[in-house]
Amino acid sequence: MYQDFLPIIIFIVLAAVLIGVPLGLQHLLSPRKNKGGDKLISYECGELPEGSAWVKFNIRFYVIALVFLIFDVEIVFLFPWAVVFQDLGLLAFIEAFIFVLILLVGYVYVWAKGDLDWVKMNVRYGKGRYANLQSKGETS
Amino acid sequence: MESSILTLLIFVPVAGAVLMLFFAMLYGKENAHYYKWIAAITTGIQLVLAGILYLNFDPALSITESPFTVQLNWITHFNIQYFLGVDGLSIPMVLLTALLSFICIISSWKIEKQALGYFSLFLLLDAGMMGVFLSMDFFLFYIFWEVMLLPMYFLIGIWGGPQRMYAAIKFFLYTLFGSVFMLLALLALYYYSDPHTFSLITLIQTVGSIDATLWGLSVKYLIWMALFIGFAIKVPIVPFHTWLPLAHVEAPTAVSVILAGVLLKMGTYGFLRISYPLLPGEMVNFAYILAVLGVINIIWGATNAIAQIDLKKMVAYSSVSHMGYVLLGIAAAISDSPAGAQAGMNGALMQMFNHGTITAMLFLLVGMLYDRTHHRWIVFPNDYEKPELAGQQGFGGLGAKVPVYTGFVAFAFFAGLGLPALSGFISEAMCFIGGFSVFRTLTIIATLGILLNAIYFLRAYQRIFLGPLNETYKDLPDITHRELFTIIPLAALILFFGVYPAPLLDMISPAMDGIIKIVQSVI
Amino acid sequence: MSNLSSLSFYIPELIIIIAILLVIVLDVIPVCKKYTFPLSLGAILLASVFLWQSYGESHGLFMGMISIDPFSHFFKMIFLLSTFSIILISRYEKQLDSNYSAEYNALLLIVLLGMFLMSSSINLIMIYLSIELVSIPSYILAGMLKNDKESNEASLKYVIFGSFASGLMLFGLSILYGITGSTDIGVVTAALQAIEYPLSIYFPLILILVGFGYKISMVPFHFWTPDVYEGAPTPITAFLSVAPKAAGFAILIRVFYTMFTLEGSVSATLPLTNINWPTLIAVASAVTMTLGNLLAVQQEDVKRLLAYSTISHVGFMLMAFAIISPDAVRAIMLYLFIYLFMNLSAFYMAIFASNKLNAHHINDWDGLSRKNPVLCAFMALTLISLTGLPPTAGFVGKFYIFAELFKHQQFYWLAVVAILNSVVSLYYYFKIIKSMYLVDVEGEVNKIEAHPVVNWSIILFSAQNILFFIYWEPLIGFIEKSINLWSG
Repeated sequence: MYQDFLPIIIFIVLAAVLIGVPLGLQHLLSPRKNKGGDKLISYECGELPEGSAWVKFNIRFYVIALVFLIFDVEIVFLFPWAVVFQDLGLLAFIEAFIFVLILLVGYVYVWAKGDLDWVKMNVRYGKGRYANLQSKGETS
Repeated sequence: MESSILTLLIFVPVAGAVLMLFFAMLYGKENAHYYKWIAAITTGIQLVLAGILYLNFDPALSITESPFTVQLNWITHFNIQYFLGVDGLSIPMVLLTALLSFICIISSWKIEKQALGYFSLFLLLDAGMMGVFLSMDFFLFYIFWEVMLLPMYFLIGIWGGPQRMYAAIKFFLYTLFGSVFMLLALLALYYYSDPHTFSLITLIQTVGSIDATLWGLSVKYLIWMALFIGFAIKVPIVPFHTWLPLAHVEAPTAVSVILAGVLLKMGTYGFLRISYPLLPGEMVNFAYILAVLGVINIIWGATNAIAQIDLKKMVAYSSVSHMGYVLLGIAAAISDSPAGAQAGMNGALMQMFNHGTITAMLFLLVGMLYDRTHHRWIVFPNDYEKPELAGQQGFGGLGAKVPVYTGFVAFAFFAGLGLPALSGFISEAMCFIGGFSVFRTLTIIATLGILLNAIYFLRAYQRIFLGPLNETYKDLPDITHRELFTIIPLAALILFFGVYPAPLLDMISPAMDGIIKIVQSVI
Repeated sequence: MSNLSSLSFYIPELIIIIAILLVIVLDVIPVCKKYTFPLSLGAILLASVFLWQSYGESHGLFMGMISIDPFSHFFKMIFLLSTFSIILISRYEKQLDSNYSAEYNALLLIVLLGMFLMSSSINLIMIYLSIELVSIPSYILAGMLKNDKESNEASLKYVIFGSFASGLMLFGLSILYGITGSTDIGVVTAALQAIEYPLSIYFPLILILVGFGYKISMVPFHFWTPDVYEGAPTPITAFLSVAPKAAGFAILIRVFYTMFTLEGSVSATLPLTNINWPTLIAVASAVTMTLGNLLAVQQEDVKRLLAYSTISHVGFMLMAFAIISPDAVRAIMLYLFIYLFMNLSAFYMAIFASNKLNAHHINDWDGLSRKNPVLCAFMALTLISLTGLPPTAGFVGKFYIFAELFKHQQFYWLAVVAILNSVVSLYYYFKIIKSMYLVDVEGEVNKIEAHPVVNWSIILFSAQNILFFIYWEPLIGFIEKSINLWSG
């Protein structure tokens, strides 16, 4: 049985060699001086970059992606069910119904808490420095 | 009636502690008055019960035949029994514990700070000590052994001297280190014995047949070493004694008395009750080492005591020294001559009892001095906080001011150094007789200890009580009636057993003979 | 058993599921939000009633996915008790924001459901699923204090570490599936007996141990424990230190007892004897105990100290696990039961101290015995029990575990390490007692009362330490009947 793993070993070794050897050669053959400086600036079609490349990332995108992921996986589960449920009878229908119902509860929660709005209207700050702040919109 | 005396002896103090808690819940915690009286009455009842036990005690009966024995199934799963019994080995210890507990409660009459805690913890400690001396089932013995440690921690830690926190935790850690090894020995004995049992009586028969080996050594040897570590820390055997001076000095007076009077005896009691009957073969191999350690204890303890300038620490080191005599005595059990073995073992047990009374008296007297003058320095140390006093004598010529007290101190010091006609002499002499029959040179070296004891006791006496009166103490009050009440029973016992030790010897001889027989049978 | 007929045995879990959904729904409706707290408590009580009624059943449900047997029944009782107590006490914890209380309760109920599944799962996929169901809400719960930097740090570390460990565990489970061809534990066991290359089991075994070890904070997978325990709100710390650990042990016992031993006896693992995994566990246990104790000695923060102490307790339990016989399992279960009470009462005392005194450092506990003598007495009792001194229940637990080593005459060196660790643990537990009792506080001390719920929780849980010392035989009898694992 162990002979079957031989290609994997060869692969690993080859991958390591193919990456390690050029890197090592480059390290040995490269000139010692003139490293860094202008050569390390990120390339922007010839223009000099201004400011930092790190942009403040709005958390809304993450929330949207997360919510999308959940319901996308739900859809993925519903697809095979949709194909075969006719043969499985009433029980399969009710089971999938319960499945969707549970996820519907989650959907209602996300909706009611305002996480589906692009700008969250009823933000409530927890305990801490900003506890007395209210956001525009609803007051509670 | 007879079968319940032992149970009552252990649980009457517990009932007293619970009663105190009820009082606290009902009447609020501020009155130290009630707790003192409850504690005094409880220990008084315990003393009366111990007296009844003594009067009805027949030394010729072994544990299995004695009417006092209680043997009930407690935890059938592990074959643990509630097995209490008293024989010649435990009865002096039981009497000592009962007497010293009562005396200590009387001597702590002045405790006001958190009195509820103090007295209830003291009663729990009392119950634990009684349990150790009365239990015949190893598991029960272990439980009571550990139960003792906890009240001691709190008693030293809350009501003690300036370094009390360090002393308490050092005491606890050190002693716990020893007792966890005892736990291993306990379990090993249980699982290696043929019908699995914890009962010490049954184990005597079944342990002989264990012949397993572990890591190249015989299991019985490992069990012996584990038990030795556990008991050696309690005795205390040099070099495991470093907790003792600290704990004794920092503890309040009554706790020091109990610590020195009773707790120190548990180590050697454990040797005699558990190690000797169960593992006589290992004991025989180890006897020489035990004797050597005993002699080291005597000499080391005495020489350290000579160097002390704190009176209480000096008495603490004298305790270390006196326990060395016990070790020498019990090592003599392997003697070829039956008279020598008997003398050694009987002397050892007598020394345990006598040292209990003597050292209790010593600590009580030191405590009385401390109560009046608030320091214990025989000579002030060189780095004392008041530089004008550094190097000066702490006391001086107190004999003129407090004659009755001085008389008792003289009595106690002479008892401590083993003056004939006082009980210390009898027991030390018997230990030497026993030791001499086996270990000639060691005993000769050990007799030096008597000289060293004399040096520090007499020197301290001369410095504190004789000579010109120190002007700071010209108004010192003499001994009060309550304090007299605490030390007169001890003094009477010391004198009585010094002149007429026969009652004590008759009580303990049959049991000691039994142990000697077991040891001699494997030689 | 088919899916539909399994439902009749699945009622406690169904009650919890419906409770979760209802709590979330009620949270959304502002008028009903205040009913979520009694609803969650009521659901737990109802589930425990149904659980008691079904005691003694032994079936495999949902076509071999989970099994209802006395073993899982015992652990479910532990989970229900701890979750009930935590939900009850969280209401009176000042740090937690009451706006999020409904979500908090819902998350705790989800963790409860996951733990139920963890103790019952007999399928490799179910094992992974249940561990994730416990872990992910725990990540959120650890970070429940949104504006507290330490809480956020705790949650982040938990997420990263947990995902990593779960990933490795999944890898191990999949290798196991690849070797044996099935995900059902019974079939895997049978296939492992007949395996040609025993050495190939070593790798998945280690990886699975990574995942389980992370859950129970075994060294070297314990690194998340101190930071998470310190940063999370104290009720959550209490919960994490008790319930998921018990669940981790449940699943560890089930997997190792069923798959890697033959009829619960190490000596009869025929094809697997070249793999000395008991010694591996023994070494892990020794390292865990020692590391937990040595690091706890240096701690100054009470919660962190208790976190490290839980690591050392886990090491203790692993000591019995290295023997893996029915007696050892019994010892572990007894210890977990007693440990539940000890740990919860210790953490509740920490809640009391941080609520009323804002005390986090040990020095803030100075003189507490004069401010509230009753609670300090019970805390002292708990600490003594955690050390394992008689006459407390902690001693009983430790005694049983030591007895297992001696009964099977193995790993004596481990016993010596364990007793030395007991002595070390005395030192740091008594640091707290020293602070409470021995340190003199100058001046006037005013009494501090605790909220009745907190007060009685501490007292009741701490009283168990004495109760189970006197009365442990019925408990052992119950546990012996519970070591009845249904598989395949």
